[in-house]
Amino acid sequence: MSVAEIYEAVLDYDDEAVPELVNAELEANTDLKIILDDGMIAALDDIGARFSEGTLFVPEMLMAAQAVQAGMDILRPLLVESGAKPVGTVVIGTVKGDLHDIGKNLVGMLLEGASFEVVDLGVDVDAETFISAAQKNEADLVAISGLLTTSMPEIESAVATIAEANKSRNLNVKVMVGGPPVNNDFATRIGADGYGESAPAAVERARNLVAA
Amino acid sequence: MAWTHRQRVLAAINHEEPDRVAIDLAAAGATGITIDAYDALKAHLGLEHESVLMSKLNQLAQPDETVLEKFGVDTRPIMARGRRGGTGRWVDELTYIDHFGVTFKSTVGTADKHFLYKDGPLCGGELTIDRIDEMEWPDPEDPLMAEGIKERVASYKAQGDYCLVFNVPDQVIHRAYGLRGMESFLMDLFKAPEAACYLMDRLVDYNIKASEAMIREAGPENVDVIFFGEDLGTQNGCMFDPNVTYAKLIKPRHERIIQTLKSLTGGKSLFHCCGSAYLFIEHLIDIGVDILNPVQVAAKNMEPERLKAEFGDRMAFWGGINTQQTLPQGTSEEVAAETRHVIDVLGKGGGYVLNAVHNIQPEVPPENIVAMYNTGLSHRYLVPA
Repeated sequence: MSVAEIYEAVLDYDDEAVPELVNAELEANTDLKIILDDGMIAALDDIGARFSEGTLFVPEMLMAAQAVQAGMDILRPLLVESGAKPVGTVVIGTVKGDLHDIGKNLVGMLLEGASFEVVDLGVDVDAETFISAAQKNEADLVAISGLLTTSMPEIESAVATIAEANKSRNLNVKVMVGGPPVNNDFATRIGADGYGESAPAAVERARNLVAA
Repeated sequence: MAWTHRQRVLAAINHEEPDRVAIDLAAAGATGITIDAYDALKAHLGLEHESVLMSKLNQLAQPDETVLEKFGVDTRPIMARGRRGGTGRWVDELTYIDHFGVTFKSTVGTADKHFLYKDGPLCGGELTIDRIDEMEWPDPEDPLMAEGIKERVASYKAQGDYCLVFNVPDQVIHRAYGLRGMESFLMDLFKAPEAACYLMDRLVDYNIKASEAMIREAGPENVDVIFFGEDLGTQNGCMFDPNVTYAKLIKPRHERIIQTLKSLTGGKSLFHCCGSAYLFIEHLIDIGVDILNPVQVAAKNMEPERLKAEFGDRMAFWGGINTQQTLPQGTSEEVAAETRHVIDVLGKGGGYVLNAVHNIQPEVPPENIVAMYNTGLSHRYLVPA
C-alpha cells in the first residue's frame, strides 16, 4: 500500500477507491501533505498535462476531478484541524449576463483538487458580488469566466471595477480571466493579472499568482 | 446560363464552381442572426418592417424577404415553429420549460438574452434505463411540429428556385445534456454507458420520427439539404475522444439519423459542429456528411487553408467568417478582406457556402454584416472563355 495507489486510482477515475485508499493511508499514519501532494495533486496534474496535450478530454477530466474531490472530502477537515493553510483562496464565477458554466466548473474542480479553497459564485455574477465575496473570504484571486463574445465588455468592466476596489476599498486580489473568446492579448489589454488557455493552464497560472 | 439559387448551392456542395459564391442567411438554426443584430441591420438599411422572432429561446430573427433578397440569399429554411417545435410553457419572462421538461433560463440587463438549459427531468442521481423510460417523452408526431411547413414550402417554391434546408428539429447529445446536465452526461458515457446509449437511441428515434412527419409535409423531393449536428469540439480541442468516445458511442447514432434522412429525401447532409471539429472530420465523412458548419476558424486547427487542403475534395464548408474576432471587432474593410480570403480558399473549385461562423451575435455592427454579404454578392468565379 502506498500513495502511488491513490495516484493510480485517480488516473482510473475511481471515486470509490480514492476515499478508501485515503482512509487506509490515514490509518497507516501517512503524512496528510504526502497523501495530498503525491497522491492526488500529482495525479490531477498528470491528467491536466494529458488534457493539454490532447490525449484526454473533458469527461476524463471531470471524472478525475470528481475522484479527487471524493478524497478531499475526507482530507479537508483534517487539513483544517492540522492548521494547514490552503494554497490560496479563489472566488470564481461566470461574468454578469452569461449563464455558461462548464468551463468555470472545470477550473473550480481542478483548483480544489490542487488544494485551493474555492468559493464558487455560480453564473451571471456582477462585479460587486465578486468584490464582496473576495472581501468576506479574504480571497487571493478572483477568477472570471465567460463564453460569449458579448461577455467580453462585461469581463473588462468587472476587471476595472475590481482594480478600483483594490485601490480604494481595502481589497487585495489578483484577477484571472478565461473562456473561449478570451485570449492573452485581451487579458493583458484589460489589465487582468492572469489568463489560462485551458483549465489546467488556469490552475498553473493561479499557483504562480499566489506564489508571486 | 442564369443560375438559380438552388443550382448555385448544389453546385457548390458538389464541388463545382457556380457563377458566384453561394450565400446563406438563416436557413438553419445555427446560421441565422440574433434579433438585436437584425434590428440594428434593419435601421442601418433604412427598412421599416416589423421584426419576427424565429426562436425566442435563441433570440433569433426570421429575416424578412427584403433582407434575404438584398443579400442574394440562396437558401430558405424548412423548420419547426420556434426551431424545436413542441409545446412548452413560460414560468416567467426568464424561465421556460420545454416539451421535454427541460428548464431554460435567461438573464436580464445584458446584450446576450438567449436561454440556456439549467435543469432537466434526468438531472441528479444515477442514470438508469428505468428513469429514461419513466420520463414523460414528447410526441414526435405532435401536429404542431409540422404545422405550416407545407404552406411555407409552397410559398418559397412560388417565389423562386431556392435551396431548401430541412432542419432536424432536435439533437442527441445536446438534448441529453439538457435532460441530464452536461457534466453528468459526459461522465455517464463512461460510468453508465448502457443507459447513456439507450438515452441516445431514444433521442435518435424521436428525431427520425419527428423529421419524417415534417418531411411528409414538406415533400421529400423538396429537401435539398438536411441540417443536423451538435458540438463535438471545444475552442482548443475535442469535447471527448474522437476515436473512442465519439467513434464507438455517438457516431453510430449520428449515422442512423443522417443515413435515414438522406435516403428518405436524397438531400445532402449539413453537419453543425462548433469548436475544433478537425479531428472529427474523417468520422463525419465516414457517416455520410457532405458539408461542415459553422467552420469555427478561430478554433484550433480550423484554418481554412488546412481544412481545404486536407478535406476539400470530400467535404464542403458552410460558414467560416470569424464570429469571435473579425465580425464583432473588425472594421468593415477587414470583414470584406477576410470574406474574400475565405471565399478564395474554401471556395476554390466550389465547396463553399458563405455565412458567418454561427448566428450573427448582437454586438456585430450592421456595416460588417453588409460588408460580408456584399463581398459575396459581388464575387465572381472566373468563367472559362
